[in-house]
Amino acid sequence: MAGEVPSTDSGSAGVGTAEAVSVEFRAATKLYAGQSEPAVRELSLEVEAGEICVLVGPSGCGKTTAMRMVNRTVEITDGDILIEGTSVREREPARLRRETGYVIQQIGLFPHRTIGENIATVPGLVGWDRGRVERRVGELLELIDLDPETRDRYPSQLSGGQQQRVGVARALAADPPLMLMDEPFGAIDPINRERLQNEFLRLQAELRKTVLFVTHDIDEAIKMGDRIAILEQGGVLAQYATPAELLMAPANGFVEDFVGADRALKRLALLTVGDVDLWEAPLAHVGQSTAEVRAKLEDAEVPHALLVDDERRPLGWLSESDLAQEIVPRSPDSSPDPVLDLRDVLRDALSDLMQAESMYAPVTDGRGRIAGVLSVEIISDFLNSPAAQVEEHPAAERPLGHDG
Amino acid sequence: MDSAALAPLLAQVEIRDRSDTNCVQENGTFCFSWALDNFDRYVEPTLQHIVLVVVSVVLGFLIAMGLAVLSHRRRWLIPTFTGLTGVIYTIPSISLFLLLLPFTGRGNDTAVIALTAYTLQIIYRNIVTGLNNVPPEAKDAGRGMGMTDRQLLRRVELPLATPEIVAGLRIAVVSTVAIATLAVFAGGDGLGAEMYRSLDFKTGLLITTGLTITMAVAFDLCLALLQRVLSPWQAPAPRERRARFAALTRRPADA
Repeated sequence: MAGEVPSTDSGSAGVGTAEAVSVEFRAATKLYAGQSEPAVRELSLEVEAGEICVLVGPSGCGKTTAMRMVNRTVEITDGDILIEGTSVREREPARLRRETGYVIQQIGLFPHRTIGENIATVPGLVGWDRGRVERRVGELLELIDLDPETRDRYPSQLSGGQQQRVGVARALAADPPLMLMDEPFGAIDPINRERLQNEFLRLQAELRKTVLFVTHDIDEAIKMGDRIAILEQGGVLAQYATPAELLMAPANGFVEDFVGADRALKRLALLTVGDVDLWEAPLAHVGQSTAEVRAKLEDAEVPHALLVDDERRPLGWLSESDLAQEIVPRSPDSSPDPVLDLRDVLRDALSDLMQAESMYAPVTDGRGRIAGVLSVEIISDFLNSPAAQVEEHPAAERPLGHDG
Repeated sequence: MDSAALAPLLAQVEIRDRSDTNCVQENGTFCFSWALDNFDRYVEPTLQHIVLVVVSVVLGFLIAMGLAVLSHRRRWLIPTFTGLTGVIYTIPSISLFLLLLPFTGRGNDTAVIALTAYTLQIIYRNIVTGLNNVPPEAKDAGRGMGMTDRQLLRRVELPLATPEIVAGLRIAVVSTVAIATLAVFAGGDGLGAEMYRSLDFKTGLLITTGLTITMAVAFDLCLALLQRVLSPWQAPAPRERRARFAALTRRPADA
């Protein structure tokens, strides 16, 4: 949505206005001086505009080298890389880099510059006027959810997670159509890493940049990627496919090993709660006669009745003693938690169920109204069915209502 | 004027000066009154000494910076420059002053040339170390965002090397203050000339020595202050306090 709005007035409306670009590797090869084997061997793949392409593989597979050839921080030995049809070889390196966002694992914030000055690096290099730079910095701080006060702080005064957010904001500052991200969340602790990943996917859903994302973590690749390029030692492309294809049909033994034995479990990360067939909950309303509710329970899939309000929002599960009364009471014995959302990732939903030690969880739609019940049984059935339909895109950024 | 009329006056002078006249004649350890009365004569040499030191260190800094920038992207030059400046540094100070005489003549110019040459090693090494210690990820990020080599040097590398560079200047200044006393052998002015004149006079020696030490300490403190002013990011605590204070005093309309 933001892609078409040229205004830069407020909020995140004008944060991403540049058209994303396509990237094409054409037999791109890198042979470092003094080495007999190339680091990247004839890599060919196409990244569509607005997609996240993850380059993943074990260390030494040349994924970082492949990414760095795009902004010419590593020079191509043979072959070519085209950005929106133009060879990077024909671009002046400094200008090419200013138009390409760059995020690295070590973050690389300038310790002697304030957060505001750090974010303003590329706008400063391309000569924006002061007022525009100031506005842009404010906009980006808001986008990455940092206190405006942090603008005048130095990087050492921020936490690792905050620093990496600033790193992303700095890369986005001049609104580049293409982003290169080299293990951007690699140095962050697991809890914050997940937050940053989700945050970035949320941003990306809005900004629709073309992103080349390097990681060694297959789980991160599955979560972040629209497409994943698995590289083998020596920079050979083993498979280039959507996460679902990769999990369903690994191209060879290497990919299968790399993706791991828990492929079935990983597939859960690709689906949302809305993607599986939910059970129907026997619903009860306050003041309804319990006999009516008990009748409903007899042939229901879920053996418990769920109390909902007039808007069909879940209030809690009714217990035996609740149902022993004449009419349905106002406050049920047990809370409805965990209440899931149709958009929740199935893997997270399972972990919520496990944590609550609950067999069933009510699922609500975007407005909080009951849409069905998810049970542990549904998930285990899904894992056991070999023909489990897998979606084409990772769940976290796929629009709603897309059935498999 | 007859001597009878002068007698009381002379007596007065004698009373006032007696201890010191003796002190000076006997070359006592430190003749305080003499020092008080004669302090004026040290002002000029002190100023000359300051000029000698400042000019030499500034010249040395400019040359060393030139060498460092030159060798920054041509790494093979570093051992050459380190070696050359190192050789100069090993020449005994007196020999260097005397060796220069036939070429540059007696005077302050010769002194400045020798003193400048001595600062090169320390300043050059510190600039190179400072540039080497710039975090590689900051350089990678700078280059990856499209900084040219010059922009990277000016905006990232030199600012981050500043603490080490100023540390080098501090050592250079302190040692130059001391070595500059030998400028007298090349016919230079300054506290060295005054010191040389008082070789047989303890009070004079102590005064000139004291002035030299004080000057070195003063220079060092000034540069230490400069170091902090130039690298505010290294002192987060006071800044944060200031920021919090600013937040407290800010009018709600600004917030």
